[in-house]
Amino acid sequence: MSPGGTPAATRWPQSKPLQRIAEPLLWFAALLILWEALLRLLAVPLFVLPPPSAFLRRLVEEQERLLLHGLLTTEMVLYGFTAGVLPGIALGYLIARSRLAERSLYPLVVFVQGLPKITLAPLLLVWFGFTDLPKIVLTALVTFFPVLVDSAAGFRSIDPRLYYVTRSAGASWWRTFRHIEVPSAAPSIFSGCRITIVVTVTVVIVVEWLNSNNGLGYLVLRAMDAADTPLLFAILVVGSTIGVVLSYAVDLLERLLLPWRRR
Amino acid sequence: MSRGASIKVRGLCKTYGSGARAVHALGPIDFDVAAGEFVSLIGPSGCGKSTTMLLVAGLEPITAGRVEIDGRPLTEPLSDVGIVFQDHLLLEFRTALGNVMLQQQIRRLDRDEQRARAAELFSRLGLAGAEDRYPWQLSGGMRQRVSIARALVHDPSMLLMDEPFGALDAITRTQIRHDLELLWLDTRKTVLFITHSIDEAIGLSDRVLVMSPGPGRIVEEIPIDLPRPRPAHLGDHPEFARYARRIYDIFENLGIYRFHRDRP
Repeated sequence: MSPGGTPAATRWPQSKPLQRIAEPLLWFAALLILWEALLRLLAVPLFVLPPPSAFLRRLVEEQERLLLHGLLTTEMVLYGFTAGVLPGIALGYLIARSRLAERSLYPLVVFVQGLPKITLAPLLLVWFGFTDLPKIVLTALVTFFPVLVDSAAGFRSIDPRLYYVTRSAGASWWRTFRHIEVPSAAPSIFSGCRITIVVTVTVVIVVEWLNSNNGLGYLVLRAMDAADTPLLFAILVVGSTIGVVLSYAVDLLERLLLPWRRR
Repeated sequence: MSRGASIKVRGLCKTYGSGARAVHALGPIDFDVAAGEFVSLIGPSGCGKSTTMLLVAGLEPITAGRVEIDGRPLTEPLSDVGIVFQDHLLLEFRTALGNVMLQQQIRRLDRDEQRARAAELFSRLGLAGAEDRYPWQLSGGMRQRVSIARALVHDPSMLLMDEPFGALDAITRTQIRHDLELLWLDTRKTVLFITHSIDEAIGLSDRVLVMSPGPGRIVEEIPIDLPRPRPAHLGDHPEFARYARRIYDIFENLGIYRFHRDRP
């Protein structure tokens, strides 16, 4: 008995990891040097635009405060993100599996998704006052819709005939959900998460401007009060680092949970 | 090992939709499949072959008529069954073995016993060594073999196949047809096999039911009395040619084929 031909295991181009990391770093360093040189040449005042040497020095001087407030902001991001992802997946599932839910909820979701949800921040302050809740709720809202749309698409992509297989097996709802539906939709859900998590850092910072005495957003206000532009840029570096680290964390989680994925 | 189950179909009809937009897709049709028999349904697209299969499996509601499995009327999805579709419908996130073991997980069967059965099926279907490969690493023929293993691992008494080789190339198709026949000869499960291919129908079946479209009906029943295992090259058999001719003639009389015999 001979099976049909087997394709040889596909080989993927092996890029050297060192080069993959070193190359962008070199370009980045070149950009910073150019920035430094231009500012010195044009004698731009420090409070208008600081050179890298100034804000990197500030980054080191203020590392304790930056770390503390950076972690507080990250904490809010994680709470809000989780609070948005879980109901997003649940409602995405409902919309994909129920015609009634699709007809009634989906148009509404599409409409609300387009709203600039950040405008709700002042209202959330009225509702929840000087607490962490406005940050968490707004982050959850911003996360919820894209994750919902992507997970609905993921659940919808399942071939309906697979349900013939599960129904004839007498599979319970839970076993179908766990063994077929969740892993089928997972790549889509992860792509929604990866896009969203970077935005959530911005959302938390904006709400921190409004109501907080901690977090990176609060630190931004303090920096501007003191006309400390180098500190503002140091905060920018921290904020962007948080975004990058979180999006890599989502990537890593995806690699761990979905090892079959090919990229 | 479980024996084949018998199928009895009486006055079976299927209408999709309701009111003025209702489409009468199938029936009424009557047929029987004896326990352990290999029966093919052949007919052009849209003649209700696939619908018949889904109704026999209890996976779509019956509009009229009845289906009996081993003498018992079917009232819910049949579970003592394996189904193979034209597309392999394998889960891309599971290995070949993982796809077959899906049955164990969703049916809550004994793990060790199912592993042993899976291993046996892998070796019988020429899949040994492919256990840990993902579907994207398998050829079309091997994917379909995995799909057949998934339909058999829980040892059902009936196998329903909806154009299982339709997406494969002719060479792979001949091989897999032969392998299926040998497997069936050893296990004697009841098989309801849906196909477009006259070669496959005659090459595999004890009986061929020829269907016509609009609405789907069974127009002829042809017992195939050829020795088994049947040769790969059926054309060598004069009997085969007679059976094939009979099916061609039926299709031509139904207007499904229009051969232009009057051309010079």
